[in-house]
Amino acid sequence: MKLDSPEIKRIIKERSLYMCLECGKCSASCPRLLTGKEYSPRLLAHKLIAEPDDLAYIQNSVWECLTCGLCEERCPSGVQFSQAILDLRAVLAETMGLTGFRAHDGAVHSWMRIMTSPRLEQNRLDWLTPEIKVASEGPVAFFTGCVPYFDVFFSNLGVDTLSLSYDAIRLLNFLDIEPVVLGNERCCGHDLLWTGDRDNFAALCRLNYQEFKDHGVREVITNCPECYQALGTYMPQVIEGFDIKVTLLIDLLEREITKGGVSFQPLEQRVTYQDPCRLGRMAGRYEEPRNLLRRIPGLDLVEMTNNRHSALCCGNSAFINCDAFSKRIQMERLGQARATAAETLVTACPKCLIHTSCALRDPVAEPQAPLRVRGLVSILAEQIEWAQDETPRRKREAGGAG
Amino acid sequence: MARAKVNILGIACNWSPWSCYNAAGRAGLEMPPNFRIMRVMCIGRINQALILRAFEHGADGVILLECEDADCRYGPGPEVGHSNVARVRRLLHYLGIGQKRLKEKTFQADQPRELVDALWDFAARIERMGPNPGKPGQERKAS
Repeated sequence: MKLDSPEIKRIIKERSLYMCLECGKCSASCPRLLTGKEYSPRLLAHKLIAEPDDLAYIQNSVWECLTCGLCEERCPSGVQFSQAILDLRAVLAETMGLTGFRAHDGAVHSWMRIMTSPRLEQNRLDWLTPEIKVASEGPVAFFTGCVPYFDVFFSNLGVDTLSLSYDAIRLLNFLDIEPVVLGNERCCGHDLLWTGDRDNFAALCRLNYQEFKDHGVREVITNCPECYQALGTYMPQVIEGFDIKVTLLIDLLEREITKGGVSFQPLEQRVTYQDPCRLGRMAGRYEEPRNLLRRIPGLDLVEMTNNRHSALCCGNSAFINCDAFSKRIQMERLGQARATAAETLVTACPKCLIHTSCALRDPVAEPQAPLRVRGLVSILAEQIEWAQDETPRRKREAGGAG
Repeated sequence: MARAKVNILGIACNWSPWSCYNAAGRAGLEMPPNFRIMRVMCIGRINQALILRAFEHGADGVILLECEDADCRYGPGPEVGHSNVARVRRLLHYLGIGQKRLKEKTFQADQPRELVDALWDFAARIERMGPNPGKPGQERKAS
């Protein structure tokens, strides 16, 4: 079979693959290739244009990409590589099915597809406690994302992604915002979109949009860079006349804190910051999270060798492709973090938190200097000075299922 | 009252539960309608994803038929099963599918009657609960 349908040709043209000079800067920077995987963005571009009958190679490569966007950053010709992968996956998934490796046997995608059922009435708000104030209706909503699900599924890793949402709401409460937290909010669909499942992504978008409208929501605040991308960039492509403002929590914090009247308790700690791909290279937020961290007195922010535009991926995205090469990328990244002599690796994405927590459990890496992984919002919520003399403490019991 | 049409999937370990199932078949014991069984070498082979996948594809109830902890031919099989069931039940609760739609039951090698009774019990429970609210509108492609 030849991959030369008009659809594929359109993608090649629209994503500027014809502009490729075959300089190889993309492959020379690709973390997947650098850790030894037989994968090359340059060769994929070449095959798509010149050898469309090499279906096996193309199909394999399309699913191999981490979509971290580092190649795009280096490309002198402006080839939109990640977007090309996104489009190609949709075409390949439609015609040949998802042939890439799904991490965790596709459990994450399973629950996302289950959420496309309109009849579903979730109990996803079990974790809310009276210490944080949320509303049931109003103009501003906080989008929790999949974090309640992650914490159960990854309970063997001991990750606490739910604390990111909890701490995000604490920060909003601090700024006198009582966000709506939707009881039947669906997954943003980021991982379905990036694994080529456009139909179910669209179904999630429609359900979420309806949910926003039913609760009078006009602005959605999110803490997860992937949710921000899915809701802010891709949802408007599905929903005609999309009229919801999507705001990143860190943007809101930066704006509000700059107004003054807020201070932070000192934290004597050396920390380094991991740029999530969806926040850094895709949304261009490099300095915002760093500026927030620098506001904390005593905190010593040091940079890893690869930072900002050239940050290394946390190992995989959209829960496909996790393999020994992903592990090597993660080990490389943790090595860079350790080389800064930082005690804490701060990240702003729940997925980075999950992946680095998993990598930290590696027995080979274990004997080295201890390193903690924490969410940006958790540090901010811990250090921000509250008007009253008490900091809301979470009391989340382990059980609670009814 | 018309019975709700429900699909039940049994995932059975090849050893004790499967021998019970075999003996039940030989004895001509009647199985619940819409019950399908899947044989695996050990319940420890099943992970959270495979259980979730059954619900994603429209199962109304899933029952894991396991050996007793001490009888496992491989070692930790049933314990892996307990841990997966506990976690998937939390996920099913969050999803609003209901944790009662997932059950695990252990058997010794010579309990065909107990096995069939457990299946009928479970089928009755699922029929009372009705169809899985996460059931897809149309049949999903195998993925």
